[in-house]
Amino acid sequence: MMSGIPDVVCCVATAPAWLAVPPNTVVVAAGVAAVGVAAGVIGSLAVLRKRALAGDAAAHAALAGVALAFLATGRRDLPVLLGGGLLAALAALGVLVLLRRYTRTRDDAATAIVLSVSFGCGIALVAGLTSRGVPDAAGLEHFLLGHTAALTVADAALLATVSAAAVVVAVVGLKEATLVAFDPGFAAASGWPVAAIDYCLVGLVAAMVIVGLPAAGAVLVTALVVIPPVAARQWTDRVPTMLLLAGLIGLAAAVFGVAASALVPRLATGPLVVLAAATLLAVSLLAAPERGLLPRAWRRRSARRGAA
Amino acid sequence: MSAPLLEFHDVTVAYGRRPVLWNIDLTIDHACLFGIIGPNGAGKSTLLKAALGLVPTTGGTVTFFGRPLADGRRRVGYVPQRETVDWDFPVTVGDVVLMGTYARLGWFRRPGRGERRLARECLARVGLEDVADRQIGRLSGGQQQRVFLARALAQEADVYLLDEPLAGVDARSQETIFEVLAALRDSGRLVVVVHHDLRTAAAWFDRVALIDRRLVATGPTATVLTPENLERTYAGQIELLDELGRAVAARRRTP
Repeated sequence: MMSGIPDVVCCVATAPAWLAVPPNTVVVAAGVAAVGVAAGVIGSLAVLRKRALAGDAAAHAALAGVALAFLATGRRDLPVLLGGGLLAALAALGVLVLLRRYTRTRDDAATAIVLSVSFGCGIALVAGLTSRGVPDAAGLEHFLLGHTAALTVADAALLATVSAAAVVVAVVGLKEATLVAFDPGFAAASGWPVAAIDYCLVGLVAAMVIVGLPAAGAVLVTALVVIPPVAARQWTDRVPTMLLLAGLIGLAAAVFGVAASALVPRLATGPLVVLAAATLLAVSLLAAPERGLLPRAWRRRSARRGAA
Repeated sequence: MSAPLLEFHDVTVAYGRRPVLWNIDLTIDHACLFGIIGPNGAGKSTLLKAALGLVPTTGGTVTFFGRPLADGRRRVGYVPQRETVDWDFPVTVGDVVLMGTYARLGWFRRPGRGERRLARECLARVGLEDVADRQIGRLSGGQQQRVFLARALAQEADVYLLDEPLAGVDARSQETIFEVLAALRDSGRLVVVVHHDLRTAAAWFDRVALIDRRLVATGPTATVLTPENLERTYAGQIELLDELGRAVAARRRTP
């Protein structure tokens, strides 16, 4: 099973077989795990503020930015590509704001338009670069569905740093974010700059989907932002606890995805991350003690019996 | 003479091209229980939102204590309509009341012991001290409305603006809310209430303004709620004529 990575066997010969993973993979897993935690934390605030779809538009737009950054610099370093992705994501969010303000396009329609148009641009750019045989361009496709196997230690450090910074911002501004998410009208009436706080939140979401690109890819990264918060909400009625649980669920999903794609190097990471998160979501929807479907059905049944 | 507590000067509001409020001139000089009365779609809630800067005005000015809102925002408390928030939100009753202290705390400072004590006191004033740890969705509509009132009390304001605080509320909650509002008035606060129910309006408010996109009449309740004024305000709303008749009759019975 470990024949694909022979250098490992000598350095961890005394460890049990299942620990015999290259140290590089461990570092990369830690970096992606940090992304999973931060995506869950930021995603919780975004889901509570009903801004989750903006993250999806940002993620899809990022692909075009990644391709343009590669085209402009000719380099495939992760910081360069993600920097391009972030610029494209913010540009797409800007277009979204303008569409809503100056045309009468509804929120969901505007989001769908920005998402599909920007993603179309990204796909066309990547396909164009790949089909012309530009050296290295083939790697760009990894940003579609996620691919952690090729990440370096430096890449992982970048992902972890951005994730940690995002979590710090979220924790520091938790009071303000919660207030605006719960009751924006009251927040505005008592003097809080609701629009500015919203921009900060959406900016954080954009940053999270960008650093989530290697783990889940432009198509699926939104799952990392949305699924853990929804699963976490099932288990708690408090925002801080929800952030913590969503972070843990995001961590579990990310680690599972990295581990599985390390074992099977050709496998895209994104689908594995999403499936792991979806499994935890299904358990949460079914079994959470207060809100889960099964305990609720059980309580209804015993209530009927009690009445009879 | 001190400046009026709340003054609308020639305020006009339009949503898109559709005007909602026309040239509202309204001055409230003294602390009292002030009712804003009018039919559905008359722009009552919009008037409060315009005062708080939540909807843009196309003309006119609003002043609190003789100055723009920005100078006195901390002294203005607000109770939005209950339907405007998601009651499945993961916060407890106590958390929501604490939100009334956030503006005073400012950026990034968390509520401490003093804020928690204040929040508990405000909850007790609306009779909900026992449910402080409950998720807000597990309360009845009337209790939810009282939570919003407690949050406004925690703002420790001098002027309170309430948007339909008595709509769809059980009798016990109505009574508690009214008692709290009357106590605020008695302690020298101005309490402005958007209200749709004519029957209770006559009994509860010291002064009222009748609004149907324009200001129809304003002054002491007894002199404003006349059949003529009500007919002008509710013109064309035949289903309301019966209610109108009962309201006027009730007002004549009570001294």
